[in-house]
Amino acid sequence: MNRLRRFFRTPEAIAGANTLALLIVMALAAPLLFPGDPQAIAGPALLPPFQDWSLPLGTDRLGRDVLAELFHGARTSLAVGLAAAAAALLIGAVVGTLAGFAGGLIDEALMRITDAFQTVPSFLLALAFVSIVGPSLGVVVAAIALGAWTGPARVARAEVLSIRERDYVAGARVIGMQPMEIAFREVLPNALPPVLALSSVIVAAAILTEAALSFLGLGDPNRVTWGGMIAEGRAVLRTAPFLSIVPGIALVLTVLGVYLAGEGVVESSAVRRSLS
Amino acid sequence: MTVLAVSDLTKRYRRGGKPFAAVEAVSFEIGQAQTLALAGPSGSGKSTIARLVLRLLEPDAGRIEFEGADFLALSGAALRARRAKLQMVFQDPLAAFNPRATVARVLDDPLRIHGIASHTERPHRIAALLERVGLDAGLAQRAIHEISGGQRQRVAIARAIATRPSLIVLDEAVSALDVSVRGRILELLLDLQSQERIAYLFISHDLGVIRAVAHRVVILDAGRIVESGDARAVIADPQSAIGKALVAATPRLNRNRP
Repeated sequence: MNRLRRFFRTPEAIAGANTLALLIVMALAAPLLFPGDPQAIAGPALLPPFQDWSLPLGTDRLGRDVLAELFHGARTSLAVGLAAAAAALLIGAVVGTLAGFAGGLIDEALMRITDAFQTVPSFLLALAFVSIVGPSLGVVVAAIALGAWTGPARVARAEVLSIRERDYVAGARVIGMQPMEIAFREVLPNALPPVLALSSVIVAAAILTEAALSFLGLGDPNRVTWGGMIAEGRAVLRTAPFLSIVPGIALVLTVLGVYLAGEGVVESSAVRRSLS
Repeated sequence: MTVLAVSDLTKRYRRGGKPFAAVEAVSFEIGQAQTLALAGPSGSGKSTIARLVLRLLEPDAGRIEFEGADFLALSGAALRARRAKLQMVFQDPLAAFNPRATVARVLDDPLRIHGIASHTERPHRIAALLERVGLDAGLAQRAIHEISGGQRQRVAIARAIATRPSLIVLDEAVSALDVSVRGRILELLLDLQSQERIAYLFISHDLGVIRAVAHRVVILDAGRIVESGDARAVIADPQSAIGKALVAATPRLNRNRP
């Protein structure tokens, strides 16, 4: 409870949390408010916003409801962002823990692989991966995670290097615990806080990468995505700029919200650490 | 019967490019239910010896025989299984436990790893262990950081005796405790020794404590043994310069072995 209060002390955290909450409500409410296929034709093509109150944000080139698309797009953005970040954090934490705990050749090998991934621009990596395997939600998540796990891996390794010298790790060896159990049950959970602090940046980057992939036509074609909507609107950017601007604003607000909320969490846990 | 026989144990490090010996040709023996104390100033190699004996560090030379078998020849699963008989209690009772652990988990681990009790039986064993070291069995569900330093060190002792070891290495195990708690922990250790026939390798810089619990003492300086013998005799009349300095630095030596 105390932690929650500390979290809501900064205005950034409040703004971020509210934006995120709104987004989650949008994503959850999408099938209730807009049942049926958001990609179905709902009215005349290129209806501007605020003209017809049954289609408040107007329609796109094919006459699809922009507001419905926006709501359903929130689902994709959030799902991909969270899943990709979770996958990246998981891979990173496991690789970093193995490297830091095992040391020696295993450490060298894993860290050179990490270097290799880090030198390739992560967007290029995602682009290549999706073009080869084919666009679907799972592939997009994997492609984004592939470029994002190196940061968490480095942070986890650095943390594990300091934790493995502590007495309680020696104590676990003395009672005959297996090295893998020591690494993943005793060391990893205590190395996690600084790794998790990266999650907001990774979620924000993942949402942007997903939008960029969709913009290039490499998103899941069966789902509405904000990136895909921007790409759709690009063809009529002069006559109907709102088609690109509306999903663009949604994207900016989402990334900002995730980032601010993440900052708030880091800030409140930093206070907790300095108090204890 | 000899529990632990260490001969010519050597561990060298490099410091600023030059090799220096943290432990140089150290030999000693500990018999069943005996206490051997290692004394010496900071940096004399006491803790390094503890870690070498426990195979937390690998020696550069020398032999360690534990219960008549070559302890250095073991590796992997065989070494982990053997560790049941050779336990340790650390100096800082807070650093010695996973900060996320509960008392129950700390005591459950050795019982589970060495297959000493079945899953359903373990809570009873844990309660019995807690009572054995003078703690309330209700403490099991508490987090490690919620209990006092003295209680924590009792939990550490309970963990060490969970696997019925024949030797426990106590690395400054009572140095971080306040005086009244220290006395009661020492009494507990002596009681366990007489009942369970456990040998102790007792590391301390406090000759008063050593005199109260140890049968024999080895005094170290810069990684080498400078003096050894019966604990009371050595402390009453030290021959080496380091031994004399340690005795001179100890405020009270009028306590008798209980």
